[in-house]
Amino acid sequence: MSVTVKRPSTFTQYKTLLVKDLRQEFRTKEMLTSMGIYALLVLIVYGAALAQTAQVFDILQMSGGLLWALIVFTSLLGLNRSFTAEKEQGCLEGILLVPLDRSVVFLAKATSNLLFLLVVEIITIPLFYFFFLTSTTPSDSFWLIVVPLVVGTIGVAGIGTLLSTITINTRGKDVMLAVLFIPLIFPLLYACVSATTAAIVGGDLFMETFTMSLALAAGYDVIMVLLSWVLYDFVISV
Amino acid sequence: MAEKAKKALKLPESGQWPDSVVPIALVGAAVFLVAGFLMAFLYASPVNGAALSEPVLVGDQMVTNVQLLSQKIFYFHMPVALVSFGALAFAGFYSVRFLMTKEQRFDTCTKIAMEIALLFVVLTMITGEMWTRFEWGLWWTWDPRLTTYLILMIIVIAYFILRNAIDDPERRATYGSVIAIIALVDVPICYMVTRVIPSSIHPVVLREGGMTGDMGMTVAVVMIGMIMLGFVLYRMRFRQVRLTQRVEAIKEQLED
Repeated sequence: MSVTVKRPSTFTQYKTLLVKDLRQEFRTKEMLTSMGIYALLVLIVYGAALAQTAQVFDILQMSGGLLWALIVFTSLLGLNRSFTAEKEQGCLEGILLVPLDRSVVFLAKATSNLLFLLVVEIITIPLFYFFFLTSTTPSDSFWLIVVPLVVGTIGVAGIGTLLSTITINTRGKDVMLAVLFIPLIFPLLYACVSATTAAIVGGDLFMETFTMSLALAAGYDVIMVLLSWVLYDFVISV
Repeated sequence: MAEKAKKALKLPESGQWPDSVVPIALVGAAVFLVAGFLMAFLYASPVNGAALSEPVLVGDQMVTNVQLLSQKIFYFHMPVALVSFGALAFAGFYSVRFLMTKEQRFDTCTKIAMEIALLFVVLTMITGEMWTRFEWGLWWTWDPRLTTYLILMIIVIAYFILRNAIDDPERRATYGSVIAIIALVDVPICYMVTRVIPSSIHPVVLREGGMTGDMGMTVAVVMIGMIMLGFVLYRMRFRQVRLTQRVEAIKEQLED
């Protein structure tokens, strides 16, 4: 009697790794709560920081930048956490023992980071609107900020996953991730802030700036995610 | 015994042929840089700035504009910036080579190319800062080139911080190479993004033919000097690091 074991397809491997991350998060709720609370606290800091100016200046022009500052700092916190559990509980060694293509590990991790970040954004952006934008009238194109948010978050999750894999093995990993992440994410941040501000402020020329910035952000995403995907094998195998 | 012979071959080698060029290049760098410095002030014609309220007689010429002394910064700023790009290109090339071969030698090359790049990037930032202050009248502006250079400088510094935070040599080399490659892809994107989105105030000197013959000549002389200087620094540092590694390897062998 022989037992035949079918080799799982790449998609099955990907799905298993992703479901593992989601299930872990669903049970502990560690990342979502810490990121959500952190984002709320940043909003409160904004409240104090803008308290003396709110009556005078145009919050709409700044809101794109403030929103992205919030996203960058919150994602730094989340990305730092994303491999800590794997490392501490020896899960990473287990995954590496499995004969699977390393890039699948990258894709699964990047997807789970992307999902967590999107969930946090879904919670924080209404809050941001509630705290800062209800006294103003954003343009009709406000809902379009969804597009730069998704495009930007894809880039953040892609490059962030690679960088957090690197920094998990270094001394002082929290600072190390920020030191590498912020300069490397800068072009994406710049383009996304431009697109988000264009969508919030509106105006005649908004579509031009919006599409141009989005095209650049999307280009960054494609290049950086592909590069991270290719280089991931080297990083995780050492 | 055979194993020992094999190990002896693996000693980090140094002192290849480029080392013999170093003294000549060093003299060349000194000559060209001094000549370039003198040319910048004595040979290249001054550039007109803002118009004066009334014409003034300087020497035997009527001058109607302010003659900009600060424009001389340009003759050093541009060559230094180009050499920093060159050093970064070498760093990128060697990091790809390292990932291909996993030879420690290429990691040393990457690290030293990065060191040279850091030196020239900082020099570019200093001369660039002088330029923005005296030519544009402000200390800092988020202009595409300034922004890109700031990001570039921070990434190069981050590369060294990362290296310092890892103990295992192989891991350090791999992570360093990966970051170097990502950084080199990131920087042109950064330049493009900041360039396309707002309008730029940097003059595009080469493309629009904004330089006269004597200015071009001066830039070329300084350029050659700077390239030689970069090469000399690279080789000398490489030799020093490789010899240190060689001594370490020999010590280890003697202990066995």
